[in-house]
Amino acid sequence: MFEFKLPDLGEGIHEGEILAWHVSPGDVIEEDAPLLDVETDKAAVTIPSPRGGKVVKIVGKPGDIIEVGQVIAVIDDGSGETVAETPEEEKTPTPAEAPPPAAAEAVAAEAPAPAPPTAATGPARRVAAAPSTRRLARELGVDIRLVPGTGPGGRVTPEDVRRFAEGGAPAPAAPAEEPGEAPAFTGGGRVPFLEVGPLPDFTKWGPVEKEPLRSIRRRVARKMTTSMVVVPHVAHMEDVDVTVLEEFRQRERERGGARLTLLAFVLKAAARTLRDFPMFNASLDPVREEIVYKKFWNIGIAVDSGRGLIVPVIREVDRKSIREISAEIVALAEKARSGKIGVEDLQGGTFTVTNVGPLGGTGMIPTINYPECAILGMGQARPRPVVRDGEIVVRTIMPVTLAFDHRIADGADAARFVNALRRRLEEPISWLLDTP
Amino acid sequence: MPRKIVQRFQVPFLQVLDEKGKVDPKLDPGLPDEDLVRLYEAMILAREADQRMLRLQRQGRIGTFGPATGQEAASVGPALAMGPRDWLVPSFREMGAMLMRGIPLSTILLYWGGWEEGNVFPEEARTLPIAVILASQVPHAVGLAYAERLRGEDAAVVAFFGDGSTSEGDFHEALNFAAVWKAPVVFVCQNNQWAISTPFEKQTASETIAQKAIAYGMPGIRVDGNDPLATYVAVRDALARARAGEGPTLVEALTYRLMMHTTADDPTRYRSDEQVKPWQRRDPLVRTRLLLEKRKLWDDEREAELRARCKETIDEAVKAYETWKPPRPDVPFDRVYATPPAELEAQRKEFLASLPGADAGKGVD
Repeated sequence: MFEFKLPDLGEGIHEGEILAWHVSPGDVIEEDAPLLDVETDKAAVTIPSPRGGKVVKIVGKPGDIIEVGQVIAVIDDGSGETVAETPEEEKTPTPAEAPPPAAAEAVAAEAPAPAPPTAATGPARRVAAAPSTRRLARELGVDIRLVPGTGPGGRVTPEDVRRFAEGGAPAPAAPAEEPGEAPAFTGGGRVPFLEVGPLPDFTKWGPVEKEPLRSIRRRVARKMTTSMVVVPHVAHMEDVDVTVLEEFRQRERERGGARLTLLAFVLKAAARTLRDFPMFNASLDPVREEIVYKKFWNIGIAVDSGRGLIVPVIREVDRKSIREISAEIVALAEKARSGKIGVEDLQGGTFTVTNVGPLGGTGMIPTINYPECAILGMGQARPRPVVRDGEIVVRTIMPVTLAFDHRIADGADAARFVNALRRRLEEPISWLLDTP
Repeated sequence: MPRKIVQRFQVPFLQVLDEKGKVDPKLDPGLPDEDLVRLYEAMILAREADQRMLRLQRQGRIGTFGPATGQEAASVGPALAMGPRDWLVPSFREMGAMLMRGIPLSTILLYWGGWEEGNVFPEEARTLPIAVILASQVPHAVGLAYAERLRGEDAAVVAFFGDGSTSEGDFHEALNFAAVWKAPVVFVCQNNQWAISTPFEKQTASETIAQKAIAYGMPGIRVDGNDPLATYVAVRDALARARAGEGPTLVEALTYRLMMHTTADDPTRYRSDEQVKPWQRRDPLVRTRLLLEKRKLWDDEREAELRARCKETIDEAVKAYETWKPPRPDVPFDRVYATPPAELEAQRKEFLASLPGADAGKGVD
């Protein structure tokens, strides 16, 4: 018997959708004859049978998502070995068992070193560090294998080495987990009263249509569930008077200049304000129990791609001009809608802005883009009567909401952050003068 | 001050064997029958292996792979023109040439299976490792050619790359030095008109790749890249120039990528079947077979026999590849220096110590 596992059909493909089977159980197939068609994020391809023989079993039907490494067909090629009858459910790797390769690496890299290691007897840990960092460690008399890395992918940075040398970060205490075990938030823990079971049979009450949870929808579902279950969300709301900004944009438009979006100004103001409020540009690492403050300001923008929500990231917003940001928003949104966005466009964000405003709404409570700390929601900017100096006047008001991770920041921080952001948007000239 | 033309240039084009299998008698290189058959057999083996590798990739038995179906003539013609002491510097769509240089198919499978050993070729093949990084191999080829001349060797170098590589700085630096030094090197650009999804017209504002040679002070020629006799003649002549100390030549083999860029690519997203069809008619295998039939060198029986022989060769290579035992994990350290320096040996030790099951006390840091 030969068990055929779905191979990685592209480079770093995690899953594919079955488009069609060319065989049924009981069929005899020749080696290299078409077995099934699968569509991945990269391409739709026909997979030829790796063995000749009788098809004993096929797993999944058109529309089903199958993961790389999952057995999709069993072929009796006369090799004799029998395959134990295993229920299909057990054969299907759950996300927790088979995280995407990148996530798996991250988990492995960030997992605390097992057992209290010592230079002489501890197990050798593969240490990722630049040669200059290794040299620094040697000079400071530090065994680099004992230094917890905080850089990308668990890389040990020079700061880590210095902190360690000063005794600032002792080797983590021996954790309960076995080496390589996934952290608890992959769903292993039990939450009292939480019940997720099969849905009732709705067809008892009326007709239904079913659609498989496909790639983007599925990723959104995972991400949002993680965010809502893991992060204690708090939302802080405010009205921002964008009359001055809107008048300026109107004048620019009339002058025939490039279109400047309100979103571009908000991104710029947010990046500037985040500098003063680092907690909203941070992430809480529940495994290491530390807060990671990011010293770069890459802001994601929620885009309605037509196939579901995706969040392309604009890098180094703090170093870009409003015009550059504006142009990049247009380019990224277009790439997202035409399905040409690359994985690298979606990574490395530190904060997210969602601009539902153009579609309407007096306000919303957005869900944090985990593992970021905060997300800013923009409502619709519209003329509203407000009181200024005891008079009722008409101003253009945009409601905003900052949803944030209460583990990292508190309500007072959020109020101060939003106030600072509001001031920047209401009086843009004063601070833009000092900004690149 | 007068205003005058200081330089004019022309770009020659060469086709010897047309799509109907007809040879221009004035251009016929007069190859012996066995060489014509050899060209055809090499192209069929390359094609069959290509198609088999595509299936192996879909079955998860090798990794990402860039097919060369339809481009066989661009690499086998030059390979036939090369002498045994000449060097082949491939990119990654030269399976035909590599097989002709005597590199086992199982080794090529190891490469696309992700093993370092897939780049270890028999020494007599005089072939550099496969280069996937665009144009990285072109300066190497120039250095190699220059070194051969400094050593007083008669060997020349044939370096392959694609149209996309001509937009890389390495390409320009390499051609400049080659021309200045009169290095014995032949540059063969397989212009398959696609750099992944970037079409040729978006790659360069030049009408041809061949004319880029003029700027560096070397001859350039565009040939029908689907004509194995044209690619043979152009590279034969260029090698003669190189050996005579007259310096490099740029040969642009105009062909077409019939398949995907690599197995991780889906060309239907950026080009239509209509664009591809005319090039399927220009298949180099078809015209070469027509030629062999005209010369009474080929028939259906010989074709069936050849196809069976290829299948057997490929089956054996796949078997050798799949039963191959990975060597020690530290072999990559063996392949950088003839004699590894102490620092590298220290790194090897550190790497070995870091492996699961290794004795941790041997760590270096």
